[in-house]
Amino acid sequence: METLDIEMPRMALLYALCLLPWLLLRALGLLLSRDIGISVLRMSVQLALVGFYLKWLFDLNNPWFNGLWILMMLLVADFSILRRAGLKVRYFALTTFTAIAFSIVFSTAFLVVLVIQPAHYYDARYIVPLAGMILGNCLQGNVIALERFYSVLRKNENEYATFLMLGATRQEAVQMYFRDAIKAAINPTIAGMATMGLVSLPGMMTGQILGGSEPWVAVKYQIAIMICIFTSTTLATIINLKLSLNSAFNAFDVLRDEVIDKQS
Amino acid sequence: MNPIIRFDQVSVQVREKVILSNISFALFTGEKAVLCGKSGSGKSSVLRTFIGLHAVARGGVYFQQMPLTPVSVHAIRSATAYIGQEPVLGAERVRDALLLPFQFKSHRNHRPSDVRLIEVLNRLHLTADILHQKSSRISGGEKQRIALARGLLLGKSLYLLDEITSALDADSKQAVFDVFSDPRLTVLSVAHDSDWLARCDRIFELEAGRLVQVGHYGNT
Repeated sequence: METLDIEMPRMALLYALCLLPWLLLRALGLLLSRDIGISVLRMSVQLALVGFYLKWLFDLNNPWFNGLWILMMLLVADFSILRRAGLKVRYFALTTFTAIAFSIVFSTAFLVVLVIQPAHYYDARYIVPLAGMILGNCLQGNVIALERFYSVLRKNENEYATFLMLGATRQEAVQMYFRDAIKAAINPTIAGMATMGLVSLPGMMTGQILGGSEPWVAVKYQIAIMICIFTSTTLATIINLKLSLNSAFNAFDVLRDEVIDKQS
Repeated sequence: MNPIIRFDQVSVQVREKVILSNISFALFTGEKAVLCGKSGSGKSSVLRTFIGLHAVARGGVYFQQMPLTPVSVHAIRSATAYIGQEPVLGAERVRDALLLPFQFKSHRNHRPSDVRLIEVLNRLHLTADILHQKSSRISGGEKQRIALARGLLLGKSLYLLDEITSALDADSKQAVFDVFSDPRLTVLSVAHDSDWLARCDRIFELEAGRLVQVGHYGNT
């Protein structure tokens, strides 16, 4: 079964649908025309470029180019995580990159090589979208973990110092904030798995069904991707937080002021 | 006799602002000293610098002749109790707060008995009933005495006290004075309370991060 293409005139009709929320928001006195216009335009241009690039990537199907694409996604994710977590890129870029690269490569390789087993393990049709989906979710988790950990630590500076004075090692003194940050980071994924299919039909499954897959195949892929998202988010957040501690504290186990990005 | 604390021309900068400038003093075992001065004069910074919470920009800080370094800071912290105006108890119940340090690897094998807990509480004019109370429900003065009790249970010999007397009533203050009459315990405190000042051996007066006078109560 082929997916029905959406011809240009019908795409125009789709863009016209945006006028409805725009008018409603305007009626409420929310003048967001500029923001909405820019967002819709950016989305269209970015996706069109990705579309062209993916078509080229899929036609080429070269393992080096596929790897390069994933590397680029990892680099963009690295900077995005640190900016959104309010941390200075120059102190944490390497540690965050190591954590997400390891967990994404591990879970995508596990899924593609051991579970899906396509004819070529480097097949762009599998590794590019799967790695992208896992990374997208992993990114959210890492932002939450880093932001939560360092903001709670700064808020509880006296408590942390008290623990050090009572004989705790740095590792022992941060343990409570560490657990809290990891829990906050993986909770959305756990909650998402628990309600999957009840609250909403997941995007990947919907896409596959629209693309002509059997519902059972789509269900199995959805389960596979959720387990990989859960695994990679947990792995990446733990590794990322652990590695970040070495850059974040001075030799006296005091949180370095300069690692926090005050502008964010 | 070697001093237990020595500051040798110490300057400290925090976010490019000089908070301590050229501070030199020494404190010997058993001495009780107090840091005085206006708000922002650097009193608390002296205490925090000694335990490595502020980086020393110039000069040297010594504990029993041992310079403060990333390695020695652990020994300094384990010999020192730091108690602030609003001490953090770090556990929901008072009993758990007292036993908190004994969860850490360094003290895991030295967990005190209930008899020992009560003995230390009594020394600070607290009764055993407080053990079962919620940490959030006890008064500021009680919190400070619980933090002190924790130092005593850990066998600490050096006490850095940051304005602890302000929350203590006359009876509790007397209990604290009695505890520190022990000649093995050394105290470096920040206080304004005249009773406390009168009982200290030495008074260091700070002004804008500089040590301007050293004396005794009545002559500063």
